[in-house]
Amino acid sequence: MNTPTSEPLAKALTPAIRKPRRRSLRFPWLLVYAIAYLVFLYLPVLLLPLFSFNDGTIVAFPMKGFTLKWYAQLGAQDTLLQAMVNSLIVGSVTALAATSLGLFAARAYVRYRFKGRELSEGLVMLPLVIPGIIVASSMLVLFIALGLKPSLTTVILGHVFVALPFAVSIMKSAFDDFDQSLEEAAFDLGESVIGTFRRVTLPIVAPGIVASLLVTFTVSFDEFVLAFFLSGNQPTLPVYIWSQIRFPAKLPNTLALGSLLLLASVVLLLIAEYFRRRSNKSA
Amino acid sequence: MTRQNIIEISGVEKRFGSFIAVRDLNLSLKEGEFFSLLGPSGCGKTTALRMIAGFQDHDAGTIRIDGQDMAQIPANKRPTNMVFQSYAIFPHLNVGDNVAFGLRKLNLGKAETDARVAEALEMVELGGLQSRKATELSGGQRQRVALARALVMRPKVLLLDEPLSALDKNLREAMQFEMRRLQQKLGITFVMVTHDQYEAMTMSDRIGVMFKGQLKQVDKPEVLYARPCSREVAAFIGGMNFLDASVTAKAEGKLQAQVQGFGPLAIDVNPNVTRRGTKLLTGIRPEQLEISAKKPEGYDGYLQGTVTNAAFYGENVHYHVTAAGVPQPIAVSVPNYFHTVDHQQGDPVWLGVQNASVIDLGAREA
Repeated sequence: MNTPTSEPLAKALTPAIRKPRRRSLRFPWLLVYAIAYLVFLYLPVLLLPLFSFNDGTIVAFPMKGFTLKWYAQLGAQDTLLQAMVNSLIVGSVTALAATSLGLFAARAYVRYRFKGRELSEGLVMLPLVIPGIIVASSMLVLFIALGLKPSLTTVILGHVFVALPFAVSIMKSAFDDFDQSLEEAAFDLGESVIGTFRRVTLPIVAPGIVASLLVTFTVSFDEFVLAFFLSGNQPTLPVYIWSQIRFPAKLPNTLALGSLLLLASVVLLLIAEYFRRRSNKSA
Repeated sequence: MTRQNIIEISGVEKRFGSFIAVRDLNLSLKEGEFFSLLGPSGCGKTTALRMIAGFQDHDAGTIRIDGQDMAQIPANKRPTNMVFQSYAIFPHLNVGDNVAFGLRKLNLGKAETDARVAEALEMVELGGLQSRKATELSGGQRQRVALARALVMRPKVLLLDEPLSALDKNLREAMQFEMRRLQQKLGITFVMVTHDQYEAMTMSDRIGVMFKGQLKQVDKPEVLYARPCSREVAAFIGGMNFLDASVTAKAEGKLQAQVQGFGPLAIDVNPNVTRRGTKLLTGIRPEQLEISAKKPEGYDGYLQGTVTNAAFYGENVHYHVTAAGVPQPIAVSVPNYFHTVDHQQGDPVWLGVQNASVIDLGAREA
């Protein structure tokens, strides 16, 4: 607003404040930094799909030619497919277990005030900050001491442990804005306890449940350290891929598989994010 | 046909640990009555409402609705429905499905359900908004949906927990009249919990005033205002000047008493008061006092004092007057007829009062 009285003031301030600021903006440092940052983060990731289409076994420029044969060969590799099935089993069971546990824990954290609530919440979140290698080695020792041989079961137990913080956080945000009188209102209108859960509670937190299932599945599917220690002779996909990297001839197959997994992970996380936002909006 | 008591509450008590939220609650509500439970926050009024609704068990006593003991009957089987303070509109359903929520359980068939939903929405002036999303409603519309969703069940008693507290002032006043009109049209018993004395007075047939878990007085609004049973009830409803008095004689429903500042007055005995003694507490409403620069004619008691505060409230003007022998300033409220503040701070004034304006509040404490 240029009122007559403020104009002289604005003029007086112009040379002192406005000009230097404009000069400093001439070279867009912030933009350069942002681009450099993104390149550093994502270029290596983009190289993976790029070389998966390269007609040659050596991963180096210049590239030889375009091929889809590395993708085509994937279907014929039995051990790889077995590893894939293992990962799907571990991921699905982990997702179901972590999400169910997370659902109950989150409901309790949000709804009730009880002794040791903060301590319990801290303990549940702890796996986020404990180095995976420590968790993995101590779990291996523990399971062997218990007589539990390394297998998919032990991998699942380990993965539920690391996936739980994600499930709890997501379900907590789903329950955070859930007004308790919604359940009372349904009950008051003649609905049964189970009917209230089915017609009110479940639909309102459903987007959170879906988001939690997807995220915990992804966490498990990508996890390497625990799976490496605990899987024994039933490797999950990341463990299998790691074992293949030592053979140069197998590397392009691994790149092709890696690209597919990358795509799947991104798609899953996008879907999860979509549901998480929907759950926040509706509550 | 005589009106039946739709709700009979006797000796009801509720404890949370060692805290007694509601003690010895006795209340009978007639069919078609608009009843309000009024009290400050934490007085137990919401707990009382939730016990009638069935969200809370009572530890002692009985609650009967329409003659039936409610002890073993859960909220979803009671002939009551509730309008929640937060309205509790189901966010994942549209307006029509919100209102039809309870009807779905009754298996009425689609035509009947749709007709009743349409009728209920028409009643709260939201006709034709069935497909509107719950998240797109304004505060006033949410309140109406909550009302329609409860009324569509045709409850014997509608329970309302601070139903208007989330609305702004103008909307609240409009809804007060609308809810009263609706209640009179339907003839359903309404039980409302509120901390707002004006809301309670404008809407209710009778009001129950609660303090610290106890129901202190149940009366019509005008009786509650004119004959409060105690100092705390008198102070909670409207403004009140409290003046000490000593009883000199008692005859024919009148107390002859020497009232602080105003001298000898003849006060009607208040039948609602239980505590008796010679050390009397009296109350005078600020709007029942005459204020004038010269001694006004035709009053039973007079007081000379000085204006210490004059405040313009729009519809009326409030004065504070101090006088010798009266420890606290006396509040006077005068209707604003001529858009003027007649007395300024420091002006000497006369106050006049009629015998009938002095309220007997029983023996004063200690």
